[in-house]
Amino acid sequence: MENFDITDRLSFMKVEILETLRLVMDPELHINIIDLGLVYGVKIDEPGKQINIEMTLSSSYCPMGESIVSAVKNCIEGHYTGFTANVELVWEPVWSYHSITEEGKKLLGI
Amino acid sequence: MSSIKQKPGLYRIVVTHYVVAALCFFILAVMMLFSVKAFTGHYFHPQILAITHLAALGWGTMIILGASYQLIPVVLETELYSEKLAWISFSLFLPGMIALVYSFWIFIPCIHMQCGAVLLLTAIILFTINVYLTAKKKKQQTIQEDFIFSACLCLCFTAALGAALVFNFTISIFTQDQLHFLKIHAHLGIAGWFLLMIIGVSSKLVPMFLVSSYQKTRLLSFTYYLIVSALLLFIVDSYLSGINYRTYFIALVGAAGVACYLLFIVKCFLLRMRKKIDLPMMSTLFSFISLKVAILAIPFIIFYHLKNNPISIRYSLIYGVLLFMGWTTALILGQTFKTLPFIVWVKHYEHLTGKVKTPMPADLFKNSLLKIQSAGFIIFCLTFIPGCFFLSQPLMYAGIVSLLITAAMYLANVFIILFHKTKTYGKL
Repeated sequence: MENFDITDRLSFMKVEILETLRLVMDPELHINIIDLGLVYGVKIDEPGKQINIEMTLSSSYCPMGESIVSAVKNCIEGHYTGFTANVELVWEPVWSYHSITEEGKKLLGI
Repeated sequence: MSSIKQKPGLYRIVVTHYVVAALCFFILAVMMLFSVKAFTGHYFHPQILAITHLAALGWGTMIILGASYQLIPVVLETELYSEKLAWISFSLFLPGMIALVYSFWIFIPCIHMQCGAVLLLTAIILFTINVYLTAKKKKQQTIQEDFIFSACLCLCFTAALGAALVFNFTISIFTQDQLHFLKIHAHLGIAGWFLLMIIGVSSKLVPMFLVSSYQKTRLLSFTYYLIVSALLLFIVDSYLSGINYRTYFIALVGAAGVACYLLFIVKCFLLRMRKKIDLPMMSTLFSFISLKVAILAIPFIIFYHLKNNPISIRYSLIYGVLLFMGWTTALILGQTFKTLPFIVWVKHYEHLTGKVKTPMPADLFKNSLLKIQSAGFIIFCLTFIPGCFFLSQPLMYAGIVSLLITAAMYLANVFIILFHKTKTYGKL
């Protein structure tokens, strides 16, 4: 998960992007991808007008995978006009149920 | 590395199987309405044979084949080998199934029945080739792969033996009587095809839908080896000596295998992150209970069979009803509303997610119809099964009317999902 670094000029924007990504829901679980712990990092290429999202899926052939990736791109490009979004799927560290945030657990009724 | 992208061709093949299966389910309920008297007699009756084959092929197998094309790539984590092969298999399977069921119903074991059996066998072989070539693309072998491929092989053997039995009506192939081989044919289908396939797929999907942290596969390995051993022992022993005292032991081995699987399911439920259980998952849970009850009937069948008591036929009928109308039907009635809405949702909303507010897959069907369907199905189980056991025709009629309501609600909801129109609720 992305850490807030006050010395990084783009930190505020990164946090804002992570908050924006809370709008992307897992269609089966009805929980946003941030609280599911799927997003690992955000990189912003300001001059190149590109936002790179490093994220994972619950499994490499998750049936909802394509929809979630597409939703992340749509969400970023819809909220940050002029920027293009790029999603990089990574499989290390492997997502597990321990990746779900406390808020996510509450939403799951735990 | 990327996730699976749903292709339009795959969507059509999957949805076609679901629609045909839903129609078969409704026809099955209608056929049962006209066969109440047949349920009070021996199971080797033309109408019971027609109903069983419609339930096994048109309903159970049809939906499993359709769901397989969608789920096997998910479970095996690779893309389906060939959509064309899937279509060829379907176009042979459907006329084959219709010809076979109709020939059983009117009971004329001639060319139509034989053609039906050959078409079905060819379709099933093509399906197995498709699954084998799909699994071959994958490097890492999993226990799910063993379950699925063994299930496909058993389906091939079931269809081959079934075709031989059909030809045996007119050409003498077997020296022993039909009923001797019917047991092997039925158990290859039930334990070999349905049980192994359902365990293989559900062992991946149930933890996924429940968000369960239980990930161990040791119980599944025990399940696989115990069920396969029991099945092989049953085939050999039953072929050589028919039902005998050793059959108790074989049944115990099989039941131990199922118990390991049910323990796996219980662990998944106990360690689930998602506490709320929805109606489709409740139906799935109910299906496992039906399976357990069906297995409990086996010692009674063996006991009365060995005593030459005709009540063993009634227990066998109850066993079949619990398996086809209890276990597989409850599972399909539940899992349809976990898989089909998702398949349709991806087609309508994948490109819109993240841009605008969209309905969720669970919003694509009418929950009120699902509630009526579930209530109807429970009433069917509580009336039809005791009706068969106590030979009470009013109870059987009450059950079948409930089943008709269940089938009508199911069919309506399937069409509601398929004819869903894209709608959005404004910008995110």
